[in-house]
Amino acid sequence: MSSPTPTRNPAPPSAAPTTATTASAGYRLSTRGVLRSEWHKLWTLRSTWIALTAGVALVLAVGITMGATYDGDDAEIDTIVFTLFGTQLSQICLAVLGILVTAGEYSTGMIRASLTAVPTRLSVLWSKAGIFTAVAFAVSLVTNVVTFLAAQIWLAGSDKELTLTDDGVLAALTTSAASLTLLSLIALGLGALLRSVPGAIGAFVGGVIILPEIAAMLPLDAIDTAVRYFPAQAASSLGSVARVENTIAPGTALLTLALWAAVIIAASSVLLKRRDV
Amino acid sequence: MADSIEDMIRAYGLTKHYGGKPGKKAVDDLGFEVLPGTVTGFLGPNGAGKSTTMRMLLGLDAPTRGRATIGGREYAGHPAPLHEVGALLEARSVHPGRSAFHHLMALAHTHSIPRSRVEAVLGLAGISEVARKRVKGFSLGMGQRLGIAAALLGDPATVILDEPVNGLDPEGVLWVRNLLKSLAAEGRTVLVSSHLMSEMALTADHLIIIGRGRLLADTTVERFVRESGTGTVKVVTPEAGRLAELLAAPAVHITGDTPGVLDVRGTDAEHIGRTAAAHGIPLYELTPQNASLEQAFMDLTRDSVEYVASTGAPQPEGAAA
Ligand SMILES: Nc1ncnc2c1ncn2[C@@H]1O[C@H](COP(=O)(O)OP(=O)(O)OP(=O)(O)O)[C@@H](O)[C@H]1O
Ligand SMILES: [Mg+2]
Repeated sequence: MSSPTPTRNPAPPSAAPTTATTASAGYRLSTRGVLRSEWHKLWTLRSTWIALTAGVALVLAVGITMGATYDGDDAEIDTIVFTLFGTQLSQICLAVLGILVTAGEYSTGMIRASLTAVPTRLSVLWSKAGIFTAVAFAVSLVTNVVTFLAAQIWLAGSDKELTLTDDGVLAALTTSAASLTLLSLIALGLGALLRSVPGAIGAFVGGVIILPEIAAMLPLDAIDTAVRYFPAQAASSLGSVARVENTIAPGTALLTLALWAAVIIAASSVLLKRRDV
Repeated sequence: MADSIEDMIRAYGLTKHYGGKPGKKAVDDLGFEVLPGTVTGFLGPNGAGKSTTMRMLLGLDAPTRGRATIGGREYAGHPAPLHEVGALLEARSVHPGRSAFHHLMALAHTHSIPRSRVEAVLGLAGISEVARKRVKGFSLGMGQRLGIAAALLGDPATVILDEPVNGLDPEGVLWVRNLLKSLAAEGRTVLVSSHLMSEMALTADHLIIIGRGRLLADTTVERFVRESGTGTVKVVTPEAGRLAELLAAPAVHITGDTPGVLDVRGTDAEHIGRTAAAHGIPLYELTPQNASLEQAFMDLTRDSVEYVASTGAPQPEGAAA
């Protein structure tokens, strides 16, 4: 690297007093401050921009492709599910981002600086969760609406023509964003729980996405019913205008997802308080 | 600082077991005080428990037993922790993908510390020019300077630094030495760990020495130096008695257990050599005992050294390296 060495001009301590001569007495740890800190942390890493850009681009690109190439073959598929097919892929981007927000601090050692600044600890995790939820939901919702409108440019005149004000459309676009966000929040919680980026990605893909699919194949009705309340299966009832078969009701699904996220965040909160850093 | 005595660090019976196995104690019933206005050196061989103790002071590791307070409270109990204590930890504590400026700004936000203070500590640490670069590309020394900048961010009353000169060039070492002294002169409490007794002798006023997690010595540098025999010059001459008389002065102390050998304290080899030459006294040996401070430290910690090199010949007693 050709960067200038820092030793060229080390400030002599005598010339630069170490004291902040003004108002250092006003320094105070606050929840607001921790929120600002987490907001700042989120946007000052390239990985955030890459994950969000990739997530948005995938949904848009897949949505436009689906719209532009529609020839009436998939008439039985719900229009919003059809248009937002890319969310299957952006789900991974957002989940990885959630994991990076928490587990990324452990893999880099940043967590030691964070918890030295905020030794009460919990507000760090909760601020991360709050800011991530807000950002992920806002980005997903805007992406969904834009993708829907873009796809409709081609779908107008077909049997998949819909407008935003049609019954259930806005609700489907919104619950799709909520389901993406809550599943990613579960990933964020797994990151805090497992403190390892690859570990949490493995747990999310294996435990949340794949395992329940396998369990559902078992020929037992009880398991079949229980699996519907698993995160990914609950999420599959969301983001559709028509009621999806073999799933719980959308309202129940939202509540179920929120509960899963709350339980995992609560578990990681308890461990965050108890474990050494 | 008027309330300076409030800012002291206190450890009471600090104990830490790792892995739930009580046999192995990283820190074992450690008690000490660190006073404001002085630089306190925290010394011990590898694995002695210095870093573990520092992490317990900051609440990052929970003690198995015992308690540590800073300014009369546990670290986490302060309303503005970064204003109370600034710390440089041994392990890297920064996201390599973030720039130095954004790293400090993120920490600053938690305490509503203004951007101007971030710029000030970047300047103080001499890394303003690279502040916008990602930490990934930093050398060991630049990373260390960023860590020190972060420690000073909150204008803390207490500064805890784990091996701050690790990876610094000679200029950087001098910078840290002066920085620590000026922080103490401002009335702050300064606790700094090191392996190097010779470095601490130049920087610290007080010493806390541990080995295998236990307190071995809690003393002043002056006393340690005095008791270790550092600063003496060994003189071998057939006219020991006459030379001793010629060198006699209020500040000069001369001891000699062996005939023909003098241990002179309070003056230097040059003065002894000139005095001897001026009076025609032959000298067979004139050796400043430089290594003895490090030697005294090793003697003190010998029984508690965990990781000794098993190969290699035994060291000759007391010889200058
Ligand atoms: N997280 C941990 N888990 C298990 N053992 C640990 C952990 N941290 C430290 N130890 C052990 O505790 C002991 C003290 O380690 P510590 O890092 O505090 O020593 P130190 O005095 O800082 O050593 P050094 O001079 O090498 O930095 C060592 O035996 C170490 O192996
Ligand atoms: Mg250490």
